Amino acid sequence: MGRYIARRVLQAVGTLLLVMLLLHLLTTVAIQLNGNPAQAFFGDKVASPTQLAAVEQRFNLDDPCFDQVGNPCLGPFVERLGQYARGDFGTNLRGREVSDIVAAAAPNTLRLFCVVLITWLALGMVLGSVAARRRGSTGDHGIRLTSVLIDAFPVFVLLIVYRYVVAVPLHRWAEETFGEDSWPPYWFKPSFDADHPWATVVVPGILLGLAGSAAFIRLVRAGQLEAYQGDHVRAARSKGLAERHVVVHHVVRNSSVPVVTAVGLTFAEALGGAVITEGLMNIYGMGGVLWEAVRNDDVGLVLGIVTLLAAVTVVVMIVVDIAYAVLDPRIRYD
Amino acid sequence: MSGDTSAAAASSAADHDGVVGPGTPLLEVRDLAVEFRTPEGNVRAVDGLSYRVAAGRTLAVVGESGSGKSVSSLAVMGLLPDTARVTHGEVLLAGEDLLSLSRREHRRRCGERIAMVFQDALAALNPVHTVGYQLTEALRRRRGMSRRDAGRRAVELLDLVGVPNARGRVKDYPHQFSGGMRQRVMIATALALDPDVLIADEPTTALDVTVQAQVLRLLAEIQAERRMGLVLITHDLGVVAGMADDVTVMYAGRVVERAPVRDTFGAPAHPYTRALLHSIPSSGAGGDGEGRRLPVIPGRPPSPAALPTGCAFHPRCDTARDVCRTDPPPLEAVAVDRASACHFAAEVLASHDVPPPVEHEEAAHD
Ligand SMILES: Nc1ncnc2c1ncn2[C@@H]1O[C@H](COP(=O)(O)OP(=O)(O)OP(=O)(O)O)[C@@H](O)[C@H]1O
Ligand code: SF4
Ligand SMILES: [Mg+2]
Repeated sequence: MGRYIARRVLQAVGTLLLVMLLLHLLTTVAIQLNGNPAQAFFGDKVASPTQLAAVEQRFNLDDPCFDQVGNPCLGPFVERLGQYARGDFGTNLRGREVSDIVAAAAPNTLRLFCVVLITWLALGMVLGSVAARRRGSTGDHGIRLTSVLIDAFPVFVLLIVYRYVVAVPLHRWAEETFGEDSWPPYWFKPSFDADHPWATVVVPGILLGLAGSAAFIRLVRAGQLEAYQGDHVRAARSKGLAERHVVVHHVVRNSSVPVVTAVGLTFAEALGGAVITEGLMNIYGMGGVLWEAVRNDDVGLVLGIVTLLAAVTVVVMIVVDIAYAVLDPRIRYD
Repeated sequence: MSGDTSAAAASSAADHDGVVGPGTPLLEVRDLAVEFRTPEGNVRAVDGLSYRVAAGRTLAVVGESGSGKSVSSLAVMGLLPDTARVTHGEVLLAGEDLLSLSRREHRRRCGERIAMVFQDALAALNPVHTVGYQLTEALRRRRGMSRRDAGRRAVELLDLVGVPNARGRVKDYPHQFSGGMRQRVMIATALALDPDVLIADEPTTALDVTVQAQVLRLLAEIQAERRMGLVLITHDLGVVAGMADDVTVMYAGRVVERAPVRDTFGAPAHPYTRALLHSIPSSGAGGDGEGRRLPVIPGRPPSPAALPTGCAFHPRCDTARDVCRTDPPPLEAVAVDRASACHFAAEVLASHDVPPPVEHEEAAHD
């Protein structure tokens, strides 16, 4: 187990370095072809060469290699790695520390993810289990049809409809029914409220989770159907164990292995969904920040955030791999 | 056997009454029929199966693939898939009809009174739980045994079935065991609640020959020691000769012959049994396992969805005559303790057309 984890962590670190190098090469080529992004600092104003030089120096863009097309600029890359290692992720164009921005934005994205993950697992496990248990019944057909409908319905349509059609009347109704200072009105508030981050993130999270849940429902259903057919379930029943125990310890438990894998695989997809959701619902999160940074040509910020997202993704992959090994003992010893 | 005896026995009716060993039956299956719902309509996989097992006795159930051996065992255990239904019959466990019980009550008898060893131990053991967990799962859940006692009991059970270094292995997972050891673990899980009757569904087909013999010997020892009733489903007539007291031969979901093992092996009363016996190599042939598998009889067993008219065996039978193509032969007593479903049973029985009784050394003693 220890060796397995060590191997995975090493692989992950390698992957992360590779992603960062790739990112660096792409931005380098972009800078070399498009000209210096330091200009972006001044917006439409014309900057003097000394001002430009000062900005270039501040953002590590002063290396001559950025003027030579085709030069991989490994010097600045190594320098930046060193800064990252010291916990210095640079600043945005307005001089705000990237780490501060992330510290403010990331918790909201995390909240969104928590809600999404819970929605995924709850819907997937409950509906998938019911469908598998009552295979071929009306309930099973209904659940399968629902999962197809969910898939056919893009997230942003769901969110737009919610925000502009459903949320406002619901919000008003909740205010009238429960009073302005109670929790329910915040649940249905059509936009994010930094003072009530959990309450205002729940509904968008559920909607985003709903959109991704179709795959989970199908996966859980398929996994459990297979488990139900398994000889080990029959053998467990032959010991006279209660059906409830058999379902929990021999069906659901066994089908949890592919579900965990899927959480890992869908994670990247959910990041994309988070950008859209945060944009539409005005949630101050990583997606929103990244979006702004790209629009403003804020190279430092983009690099910092993308690197961070890559790191998070890699960490999630490790956690998934470890969970996989914990859930399926056959993995550890291979 | 004289014609007299068989006539007298025949008059004593077509049921199982004449065909029991000594002792009162622990498990008695009466006229069991199981149907599957399939897209092509209902298929009768088991039709009119009856047998009895007494404490300390072994009944072998023999038949080619698809003859309904597993399906009937699952019916006894109440473990049939949703598409199957018991359409007829009783399963009496010490006089109580399991099939008339609620699902829950039936399940309660499983493990405790009657247990089953499955064919493929690798598939029947859950890969994500330790062997120790699976051995004592029922003890913990059903008897409320403490974790510590369960741990100790798991070691005892592994010791009982001869798994070396039992203490060190309870925390291992099924995939870390060899095939033979896994089957021993499977047997140990079935014994955990000390059942009165054990159904072993081809417990050794997945194993190689020497290991087969060891596992069977273990099974025989445990059975004798605990005076369990054992229903041994097998493809291997050598095993039948070595271990069983009585044998029930199935063909296409029906019983074609039922008899004490010694009698059948000397003089089968059904052409199918005779054909099976004909194709076992003599014990002198040496211990090559392949030859002892259920021998090949020309032609294929019929699918229960498309049974031949008359006697289901007639397309493959060397004794078949016109009547066989039209009239299904009833299962009738042919001698004391013996029954056969063949129009010409008496004739077949009288012909003594068999090789000398085969008793396989490996299976019996080694
Ligand atoms: N799930 C199922 N659906 C439909 N028919 C089935 C199903 N399972 C079994 N059967 C039918 O029941 C018959 C008996 O099957 P069973 O498994 O009892 O055979 P068996 O005697 O145990 O054979 P084997 O020696 O190969 O294990 C088969 O011929 C098959 O047609
Ligand atoms: S009834 Fe006829 S076909 Fe069937 S086994 Fe007897 S002789 Fe053969
Ligand atoms: Mg079988």
